[in-house]
Amino acid sequence: MTISRRELFGITAGGLLLRAQDQKRPIFRVKVDMVVLSYQVTDSKNHYIKGLKPGDFRIFEDGIQQKISTFAEGSNTPVAVSADGSTRPLLDAKQETLPGMEKPDAFVGTNVFVLFDTSNFMYKGFVYAEDAITDFVRGLDGADSVAVYTFSRNLSRAASLTHEKSDAIAGLRKSVAGDDTALYNALLLTLRDAAKVPGRKVVIVFSNGPDNASMVAPDDVRAVAEDEGIPIYVISTSEVNKDPISSNVFRRLAQRTGGKAYWAHNWQKQVEALEDVREEMSNAYTVTYYPAANPNEGFRKLLVEVVNDPGKKLRVKYRPGYRPSRTL
Amino acid sequence: MKLFTALAPVWLVFAASVLQGQDLEQVRKLEASGDVAEARALLAHAAESDSHSVPALTAYAEFLQRYGDPAAKEAYTRLIARLRQSGDSARADAITRRLALLDLVTPDPHQPEILAKDGLPTVPIPGPLRSFARMVAISGDARPNEILQSLARNVVTNGYQASRSNEALEPTEYLKLVHRYLSQAQELQKLAGDSQVIKIDNCDSPSVGELLRILGFRIRGGCGSEVVLETVNAARAFLTTDSGFPINVLEEALRTNRPFTYDYHPTYASVLFGPEYWTGGVKEKDPGDFVDTFISDPSLCRLYLGYSKLDPETAEELRKGIPFTRIKAYAHVLDFFGGMFEIRGGKAVVPGGPRNAAAWGDLAGASADHGADFFDKLMAKDDGWLASLYDSIARINGPVQDYLLQPERLKRFYSAVRGRLTSPGPARPVFRSNTDMMLLTTRLRLDADGKPHVPGNLDVWKALFTSHPQGRYDGKLTRLAATWKDPDDVIEALFALSRKTVENEPLKIFMAVSDIDHNRLHPLEPATVDRLARDYHEYGAQYPVFSEARSLTDKTVVQFLETMESLTKIKEPAFRSDTIGSFQALVSLWQILVRQGSIPAGQADATLSALAESFSAVHTDRELFDAGRQDLKTLIAAGGEGKGTAQERMVALLSGGEAGDSDAHQEMAQQVQRILEAQHMISLDTLFGIVDNLEALPKGEKLNTALVNKLAATLNEIPVARNSLTGAEQNAMGYGYWTDRHISTERKLNFRSAIEKAGTDAERLKEIRSMMAPLLRDTLLGFNYAYYAPPGAQILYTNPVFVRGHDFIGSQGSYNTWRSTEVYGTGWPSNAGGRLVGSLSTLPYALAEAEQNFLIPTQTQALIWGDLVPQMILSATTPRWWNVTPSQIHWVGLHLRYGRELIAEAASDANVRAQVMTSLGTAASPARVDEVRRVLAQGAAREALDLVTPSELFEVASDVGPKRTEDSSCLLAEIHRLQQADPQEISYTAISRAFGTPKPTLANSYEPELLHLRTFPTLMGYSSRIMAESWESNTIFWAGLADELNLPPGELNLRIPQWTRKLVEEIFASHLEDWPAVLRSLRHVGDEVRAQTRAANPDIKAEPQGIPNR
Repeated sequence: MTISRRELFGITAGGLLLRAQDQKRPIFRVKVDMVVLSYQVTDSKNHYIKGLKPGDFRIFEDGIQQKISTFAEGSNTPVAVSADGSTRPLLDAKQETLPGMEKPDAFVGTNVFVLFDTSNFMYKGFVYAEDAITDFVRGLDGADSVAVYTFSRNLSRAASLTHEKSDAIAGLRKSVAGDDTALYNALLLTLRDAAKVPGRKVVIVFSNGPDNASMVAPDDVRAVAEDEGIPIYVISTSEVNKDPISSNVFRRLAQRTGGKAYWAHNWQKQVEALEDVREEMSNAYTVTYYPAANPNEGFRKLLVEVVNDPGKKLRVKYRPGYRPSRTL
Repeated sequence: MKLFTALAPVWLVFAASVLQGQDLEQVRKLEASGDVAEARALLAHAAESDSHSVPALTAYAEFLQRYGDPAAKEAYTRLIARLRQSGDSARADAITRRLALLDLVTPDPHQPEILAKDGLPTVPIPGPLRSFARMVAISGDARPNEILQSLARNVVTNGYQASRSNEALEPTEYLKLVHRYLSQAQELQKLAGDSQVIKIDNCDSPSVGELLRILGFRIRGGCGSEVVLETVNAARAFLTTDSGFPINVLEEALRTNRPFTYDYHPTYASVLFGPEYWTGGVKEKDPGDFVDTFISDPSLCRLYLGYSKLDPETAEELRKGIPFTRIKAYAHVLDFFGGMFEIRGGKAVVPGGPRNAAAWGDLAGASADHGADFFDKLMAKDDGWLASLYDSIARINGPVQDYLLQPERLKRFYSAVRGRLTSPGPARPVFRSNTDMMLLTTRLRLDADGKPHVPGNLDVWKALFTSHPQGRYDGKLTRLAATWKDPDDVIEALFALSRKTVENEPLKIFMAVSDIDHNRLHPLEPATVDRLARDYHEYGAQYPVFSEARSLTDKTVVQFLETMESLTKIKEPAFRSDTIGSFQALVSLWQILVRQGSIPAGQADATLSALAESFSAVHTDRELFDAGRQDLKTLIAAGGEGKGTAQERMVALLSGGEAGDSDAHQEMAQQVQRILEAQHMISLDTLFGIVDNLEALPKGEKLNTALVNKLAATLNEIPVARNSLTGAEQNAMGYGYWTDRHISTERKLNFRSAIEKAGTDAERLKEIRSMMAPLLRDTLLGFNYAYYAPPGAQILYTNPVFVRGHDFIGSQGSYNTWRSTEVYGTGWPSNAGGRLVGSLSTLPYALAEAEQNFLIPTQTQALIWGDLVPQMILSATTPRWWNVTPSQIHWVGLHLRYGRELIAEAASDANVRAQVMTSLGTAASPARVDEVRRVLAQGAAREALDLVTPSELFEVASDVGPKRTEDSSCLLAEIHRLQQADPQEISYTAISRAFGTPKPTLANSYEPELLHLRTFPTLMGYSSRIMAESWESNTIFWAGLADELNLPPGELNLRIPQWTRKLVEEIFASHLEDWPAVLRSLRHVGDEVRAQTRAANPDIKAEPQGIPNR
């Protein structure tokens, strides 16, 4: 998520000048963006912990504590967080102090991008996977939006982001089987589309793994998801041990972006996996903040702490960090 | 028309006389400067301020017509009214005629498209076309007469495979699915009943169960709001989804208990000669079974494909004259080499016409007077060799064709092509295997004496065949070579080699060196040709360098070859990679700057010579850095005066101008900068700044720590390739050792430590430059990648070591250093991201190829792009239009509009039609020419235009225009005026250079050029690449569009890549040779751009309608 806040801070506050030798020359700046961070809190038995408040969390970037600007639980409407930790409806907050939140409605619910593999490898499970995704789309919260993309060698935008679940299902049901599998190319393009949308978003990849046509490496794609703050959920229709290299990549993609990987070789397991994704989404906390001054132009490490957890029994799942974007 | 013709010059004079003087002069000046809007406003004002002024109204209306402005019609209408008011009915009639012509070719969005009325019998295919098209992988835009043809092609190319157990063919999964779909569709058709509409009243209807059974679904839960359809029969459900049955609509209807109706009328496909011909006279019990029977026989499909390439008269003659079983046996020959067959009045129309009929008759063994018998014998003669020669010669025109058709020569060349063993013939493989013969006949050039141009002299080629360093090419030819006395002997040998699919290197050498000669002011010396021929095997991929500048001396060519040879001898791989990489990057920059005119032609030779000179003396990293820096300085200096640092100057040169120039220049510069930044390239200023600083340290200057820190910070940002991969993943990598080492070495560079150790020791400080050599290589390489970056450039923005990862060495045992650039590592886990391997000789193509799968098709059948897309992207990114003038763009636009006007006239004037058809016949196939002629004879100019490509339209206008001295067209008058005003700027040569396409495979050159060739088919060894290079319509079309929208020439550099990207994304093709689909997409993008531009600038164009440049 990179909504520029450059106008607010100007160059002097946090925008770090990389090259500014004279006015005619191009200037690359590190953009000071609003960061959107989603995370889940579970107990030792993996039960989601609900009902926590903004004051229950501390967010750090490279050890520097951040000031939370907005806070939301699940699909609820986000609230603005004041300096003293109190909250008030976002609509009452001064919009000019929250650049990137000009459309608070965009932050209600989640923008779900489903990326469905229609390559040769998925041929046999194609229709069952469609059934499972159709059920998943139907079961999404009313506040959620969904887009359905399919891919083989190229990406196809079967259904653009919409609140109308029936449109998304119609797009899904028009999928055409393809040939080669360019999973990471398609995932990259999906992330690029998702990055343009304000609000919280996730990408759910439905594939069986082996990629034989991508030009980009999974870890480069993962870096884009990390930087944009988009969790990737991967549902592999293969078995975990069948293709250990792909399995490792899926695990890494999910973990490093705050998502999760599943291995679901039959329809029942696929339905269960998607149900779990939906659970994760509805139990996520989402905060936004504007990073405090930080000279680090590279990878910034994130830390989310629950304040009142003396025994450290609670587990918080979030992306490990991100790189601030540069712009010309 | 004749009256109009006679009066027209009078009007022009009259119009000019009133607007003479300042107004007219000012309008022309404004046009020449590109300010068309202002010129238009001036004329509009003149017409408005004196609405009775015929000259003012005439000038305004003609101006609008010249720019394809839809408002021209209204202006002409006003003019007609004024002329009638003034009693000048003769001129009013003439203008009315002009308006009618304009109407005739302007598409009317309210008028439904007229489908081709072929009058052929049809067969029903169950279900809607959309579903059938999806299942058989053809375009949903296919017309009835294209359905079986496209289906036949897919069955031939994808329907069958060799059986694992025996020699028989077995159907592929694709064909099995088609059969299954047809079966399911027939079931649905029965369910639809006589009404041919599938109807379900509500969820409880008795037919729900049957419908769902056929579809492979079932209802989960009972009827009501919870209805969910789920798969119960995966095979059927797959067909349902894959064919696009609206299962979601059905589900919604069941859930809401509303009726569901689905039109299930069959699709009717035209069948050549009627279905009985293809079933051997047996009438199918159910006409719906025809397609099932048809696709079950691949040779039947092949024959259909062959027949469908012929015009109706020729096809009918062959049908009548050759028994079905006999011609079916030669279906492969007819398919590949029958496209130029033509029978008129029962006689074969052979290449060379009647004077060559006897020669062809002798070769075929049948008289051309009996067309069907002649072509029967031609095909049956030798498994396709004679037919392939016939096809190759029929495709060309002019003196080369005349040369090849000299009867004795024709016999001689045929004998060479045929050889002793005729099987397997050139039509047996999946692609035509006579590729090299087609290239030879197309690219052969004649000298002034009418003899073929043989580069160097005969002795060079004799020597090549008798003592080639790689060994003998062909035993027989080696023996004969000693007796060669004439250029014909060489050509005969090349024809003989062209029948080979391998080891025909001499032919490739001949064409490559001929192409270099073609682009030179003076032919190469024999010694140089000899050297080029002998070095081709090693360095042939680099030869397009020699075609960039016409003035290269033989000395520089040889010097360049020697430099390559000396660099190849460097033993240490990492140093060799850095040295050759730097050299190639600099040479490639030289090519860019020469091509776009930044380096003047007069300095091209000296600059290239300087690059070769400095690298021939490189032995150490330090020398490498110094040579790189010096050569860069040479390039920048050759690029002319300019302000700024080395980095700024290079970026400015690559973006066609200096900072502060037009928006287009600035946008291009930013694109380059963004890519360099994404790739963590070290700025030249940082590298050179540190070096200069280090040299000054012993003299007491302080160390520029800021600069050193900046360098260290950038190096630190370079990610480690494959850093996050596990051991198992890394072990799966088969190559990339040297590039990984290159990157990790750069990351470990510690300049601060090196500087501290060196202290003030001047020599040791100088030695630090050696550490910078690999960094300079990458920056130079980065400039090249950034310049040729395809639209979108997803890889360059995502993989931060894509440039650094360029592999100049390749995997162990391979020899890629001077070979073409190739894309490696596609598909994980074979690599941590794809990379480019080899030299930079085909970098633009490789980058486009790597990027093509990031394009997002808007249509479902978009998996047939092949080599077409990279070439189209290359044609949009390699040429630059910084030096193009508004008048040149207008000239192209005028030609396209004049071409349309000619087509409109041809619809009503048989003489014009004959002229147009003769001209079109040099580029289009006989079948298409015949179709255009038939459509025009019916008066349907608009439909005829749909069949003509923009490059053909341009060629027709430029060919026919000069012959029509009496033509009163205001478009033709303006064409003449512009040409006379500046013959240098406005000439076909200049336009060819400005709006042609680069043809690195076909012409061994990146210099844009219009060759006006017939569009090639797919060819063995090149797939659709040659076909893509012979497609010249895109840039011509874009230029016409830019003229219509009054875009400044510099904008083309930004717009053409964007438009091309859209063009590709909207292609809806059925097969690799489906250029009509490309044409449809081209026109569609044009319409979109027009609509967007006019919506954004309502003042410029009042009506967002009309498609004048089709």
